[in-house]
Amino acid sequence: MGSCAHRWSLADIRSGYLVVEGCQHCGGRGTYFSTEVAAPVDEHQEGSHHWQYLISSQAVTFNMRCDSCGEAVDLGDVVGLMLCTCDDVECELGRLSADLGRDTSIYVALCSDSTHETNPSCVSEEGIAALNEYFNQQLREGRKKILVVPCKMCGNMDRCPGIVIADSGLIEL
Amino acid sequence: MKISEIVEKAGLESLNAYEDADVPGVYVSDMASDVITGAKAGSMLVTLQTHKNFIAAANLVDAGMVVFAHDKRPAADVVELAGRVGLALFTTPDDTWTFALKLSDIGLR
Repeated sequence: MGSCAHRWSLADIRSGYLVVEGCQHCGGRGTYFSTEVAAPVDEHQEGSHHWQYLISSQAVTFNMRCDSCGEAVDLGDVVGLMLCTCDDVECELGRLSADLGRDTSIYVALCSDSTHETNPSCVSEEGIAALNEYFNQQLREGRKKILVVPCKMCGNMDRCPGIVIADSGLIEL
Repeated sequence: MKISEIVEKAGLESLNAYEDADVPGVYVSDMASDVITGAKAGSMLVTLQTHKNFIAAANLVDAGMVVFAHDKRPAADVVELAGRVGLALFTTPDDTWTFALKLSDIGLR
C-alpha cells in the first residue's frame, strides 16, 4: 500500500439486502449483496452449486478510501462481517480467540461462498488489511483491539455460531 | 459527560457492570448496519433493537454505552455477549424521542 500511513474512511456506502442461499447438493451457503428494491429469491446454478434462497436481511456495503493519499480499496468481495464467538479448539479461529483473550474482538469478513469452491481466494489481503486499519483507527485508545480475518480461516462457516452484522432482528422489536 | 453522570441525570437502569468513561456524543438507530457506518467510538447508542447483531455492531465501533428505549430488555445471552466484549447496557422507560429530549436537557449533544 505504498509509504502512506493511511487514514481510511468509508466510501461508496450502499444500502441493500444481504441474501443468503443454500446449495441443495453440498449444503454450502452462498451470500451476496443486492441493491434491488426487494431481495431476489430466484434459484440459480453456479459451477457445481445449485443455490436456493434461504433468508435475507437489510445491510450495507462500502469501500475504503484513504483521506491522505486518495488510495481506494474495493471491498466488493466482502458480503458481510461476523463477530466470532467460536470456542472450538478444532477451529483456527477458536484457538486464535482463546490466545488473544477478551481485549481483542475477532470479526470474520465473509466472502460469497462458504465452501470457497467458486471463490477459493476468499476476501483479498488488501481488503482485510484496510478493514483492520480502519476499524482500529476508530477505537478509543488503549481499550480494545479489532482483528478482521477472512472467512477461509473458519473451520466450518456453515456451522459457525458467529453473529453476522445484518438487520435480521428488526421484526423482533 | 461521564456514563455515571448520565445514568444519574437521565435515570437509567444498568443491565450489566460498566466502567465509567466519557461519552462524547449520541447516535440513535435501530439498525446494526447503520451503526457501523455512522456511530463514533465512545458514543451512546440509543435503540429499540435488542438482537445480538446490534451488540456485534456496537462493539465493532467501540460504542461507550447502549441504551434500550421504551423499557426494552435484551435476553440473558445478549447481556452475556455484551459483558464478554465489555459493552455497558442500560434501559430507560422513556420512548426514544422523550429520551433524546432528556439527553439534550441534561447537556449531552
